[in-house]
Amino acid sequence: MGLIQREIEKVGIATIGITIVREYTEKVQPPRTVFLRWPFGHPLGEPGNHPQQRAVVLEALRALYQIKEPGTIVDLPFRWRREKYDDYQPPTTAELE
Amino acid sequence: MNLTRFKNRLLTRLATVVPGLAQRFIDGYQPQESAGEIPWVAPAKPLRQAKLALVTTSGIHHQKQQPFDMNDSDGDPSFRALNGEELFDDFQITHDYYDHTDARKDPNIIFPLGPLGELVREGVLGSLAQTHYAFMGHIDGRHITTLVEKTAREVAAKLKTDQVDLVLLTPA
Repeated sequence: MGLIQREIEKVGIATIGITIVREYTEKVQPPRTVFLRWPFGHPLGEPGNHPQQRAVVLEALRALYQIKEPGTIVDLPFRWRREKYDDYQPPTTAELE
Repeated sequence: MNLTRFKNRLLTRLATVVPGLAQRFIDGYQPQESAGEIPWVAPAKPLRQAKLALVTTSGIHHQKQQPFDMNDSDGDPSFRALNGEELFDDFQITHDYYDHTDARKDPNIIFPLGPLGELVREGVLGSLAQTHYAFMGHIDGRHITTLVEKTAREVAAKLKTDQVDLVLLTPA
């Protein structure tokens, strides 16, 4: 996936990737990535868990605007299945510009 | 279905319940290390004005489209263009290297059109592109060159033509 991401960024489109295999991403070096230690087939979490999916999307978008160093991988703090999203703080407008 | 495909599917189901097995899959494949500068461009616009497209390697596509070729052990480096407004009404997943049981129940876990559409309605995100793109992520050997030098570049050019500002990539 990182190889595709690099080609898209090369044409002048800013990209963010979600990864669940940090080892691969470290080698391929896409421009920006968020990492979750979650099972294959579940990059945005569990089926029907809407607050979880929304939090992952918002954190990916925050990283898209906040990463300043090419190749950065942000480790997201969300645990698999044991996380509650009631207190989740979404990015501010200023963090998304 | 041939025996190799059956074996791959069985192993991926097992890896979902036995994390140690998943780690062995990860260790068993080593992507080539990228050399040189990492491509980089700053986001062109604030999120509230930007048009975003999804690109996935999860193997999701419309039922009417030709499935990815799963009989080639090096994978299939082609892509499918997806209509975001219709995809979830008629989707199919062709990818033998992960268990799709949960993704079939809720495709947002591999392709988050739902949460992104919500952000558009809330004014957080400017808009979603009409067309998104899917690959089948298990690509190896000779197909890596085809992917990087041909199909990934074709998709990049299409995204540019579609005037997409941002891309979110999701694996499987």
